[in-house]
Amino acid sequence: MDDLYLDNIDEFVNDQNKIVTYKWLSLTLGVHVNTAKQMLYHYLEQKRNESSGTALHATYLVSGKCVVNGTPCHKVSVVREEKLEAVKAKMEMTISVHVYSVQRAELKDSSPLYTTDYDAVKENLKNCSKYSAIRCAAAVPMSSAELQRAQEIALVPSAEKENRKPGLNEPAATSKPSAKPPAGIMGMFASKSASKVQESSKEVKTEQKDDSSSVETSKTKPASKANPMSNFFGKSAQKKVEEKPKKSIKEETDGGSTSSASGNIKQSQVSPKSDGEVKEEQSKTSRALKSETKDTRNKTKRPEVVDSDDEPVESQQKKRRRIKKPQPDSSDDEVVPDSPPVPNIQTPSPKKQVKKETVSHQEDGSVVKRRKRRRVLKSHTFVDEEGCFVTEKGYVSESYSESEEEPEPTSQAKDSSSLKQSFGKKEEEKKEKGQKKTSAASKPTKQPSIMGFFQKK
Amino acid sequence: MATLTRQDLNFGQVVADILCEFLEVAIHLILYVRDIYPSGIFQKRQKYNVPVQMSCHPQLNQYIQDTLHCVKPLIEKNEAEKVVVVIMNKEHHPVERFVFEISQPPLLAISSETLLSHVEQLLRAMILKISVCDAVLDSNPPGCTFTVLVHTREAATRNMEKVQVIKDFPWIVADEQEVHMEEAKLIPLKTMTSDILKMQLYVEEKTQKSS
Repeated sequence: MDDLYLDNIDEFVNDQNKIVTYKWLSLTLGVHVNTAKQMLYHYLEQKRNESSGTALHATYLVSGKCVVNGTPCHKVSVVREEKLEAVKAKMEMTISVHVYSVQRAELKDSSPLYTTDYDAVKENLKNCSKYSAIRCAAAVPMSSAELQRAQEIALVPSAEKENRKPGLNEPAATSKPSAKPPAGIMGMFASKSASKVQESSKEVKTEQKDDSSSVETSKTKPASKANPMSNFFGKSAQKKVEEKPKKSIKEETDGGSTSSASGNIKQSQVSPKSDGEVKEEQSKTSRALKSETKDTRNKTKRPEVVDSDDEPVESQQKKRRRIKKPQPDSSDDEVVPDSPPVPNIQTPSPKKQVKKETVSHQEDGSVVKRRKRRRVLKSHTFVDEEGCFVTEKGYVSESYSESEEEPEPTSQAKDSSSLKQSFGKKEEEKKEKGQKKTSAASKPTKQPSIMGFFQKK
Repeated sequence: MATLTRQDLNFGQVVADILCEFLEVAIHLILYVRDIYPSGIFQKRQKYNVPVQMSCHPQLNQYIQDTLHCVKPLIEKNEAEKVVVVIMNKEHHPVERFVFEISQPPLLAISSETLLSHVEQLLRAMILKISVCDAVLDSNPPGCTFTVLVHTREAATRNMEKVQVIKDFPWIVADEQEVHMEEAKLIPLKTMTSDILKMQLYVEEKTQKSS
């Protein structure tokens, strides 16, 4: 070993009046701890042989087996030099003795030793063990990819929990879950009903969806493709009268998964449907989801949702979430979000419109909303001229003017509105307003409000 | 980052709080390290994330607190130049003077992110230096006492006499013999420089303590 380190230590100890512990020395000079211990020992030996200059004090670390109060134990202690022999004598078997620190001051207690190491360790916090003699081969730092994966895993469960909580509990916290499930349901129906939409959306779906979701979506998608819209509608056409109400119900059920009450209703509704003519995979899937906990629904649905209308759905979800957060109170709010997804309409636009409306209602002043939402929500399903199913839900008690006014002021509503606007306008043009109007007339609250919403925007 | 100036009263108080807190720790530690009081009255406490020794004697603690309570207004106004812990022998002649020389920058430009942790580190280093100061000091004769002196700037002394921060806890002008020490040697212990505070600690030690 180079003897320069002796000068180093001498400078630390005598000139700078520092406490030099083996750990501090190891981190300061960048040497292994065992080397540092040897350095200190050699330094101490040399100074003791010189027996010149100022007195040096040393502390030693002693570890060994001893009996304390009749129980054998392994004891590790830091002792002053003068007590070293006494401590060693007490040990039944001394396993290790080494120099712990060297300093000029005669330490009255161990506090300065810790203080000395404190800042040295703190400066090397991330690799303070790099010179340590203690190694664990099994402890290997994760690679960045692994770390990312672990973080994703950690995030997913938390999101699930959130969803579950809202679904189980009352609406207050439900904002996220409510939004997700309806979207998922929406997506499923949309994909099945409108093969076109699905195809276009498939690309997006695969990208956006998780692996699991993509699998699910792929399954649903082929089914939907195999069953072109004509098939779906053909079946539906036969049962048009029956189906229409059913569809509306389905939509509602799908969308309304968030609220427990709505979910129950939906499930009941769905089951008859599945029993009936409409036995599409969608309905099955929806049933399964329904039968499962709401959480599961949310999960499965999420990917699906992405499929149907990736951007719009997401935006809607976001909007809903935002809205819901401020207005966590009313259970009605939950129902409302559910209703929007209901529109399984083949064309994405109608769905969006409905959703938007619901969103706007939610967003609207919390004061007014609660009252309105508590009132009964009614959904009307009808076929547009183009052949699209349009489901509109409205609160009977709500007033048209209120719904319009409310959406504008809220920033959230605006965000959603931008997306909605584009879709909404198209839809309005395509679809006859007359139908909506009729529906609106029958259901004064929502439909008119929707109309107003889009028009303003 | 917002730049705070001395005109911000809050900030002056923050500095004074930090400094007085440190002085309390330091005084306790000096009393412990220099054997002014028996080590039995001291207990380990945690400050600045490290263990320090603190007296458990209520009257002593009260005295230290009252003293610093009176010093704090001076520090807030940047009128305190030095805070000195004087160790005196039986004849009330000083044998050691622990001088905390304080200087606050006229303009306080700080970033709140680095401020506290950095200052804490500096204060910790100062605490560490105090705890090993006996290596560079001769041992004190038995029966020593201590007192605290404050060196103020300008006319702050007169204000202190007029306004008693704590009732019945007046400050008086120090006797000449408490201030002056013959044949003193200067032993620097530590300096610290931070955005909010500059401080240096040195010890004036009488060469012949036993005499």
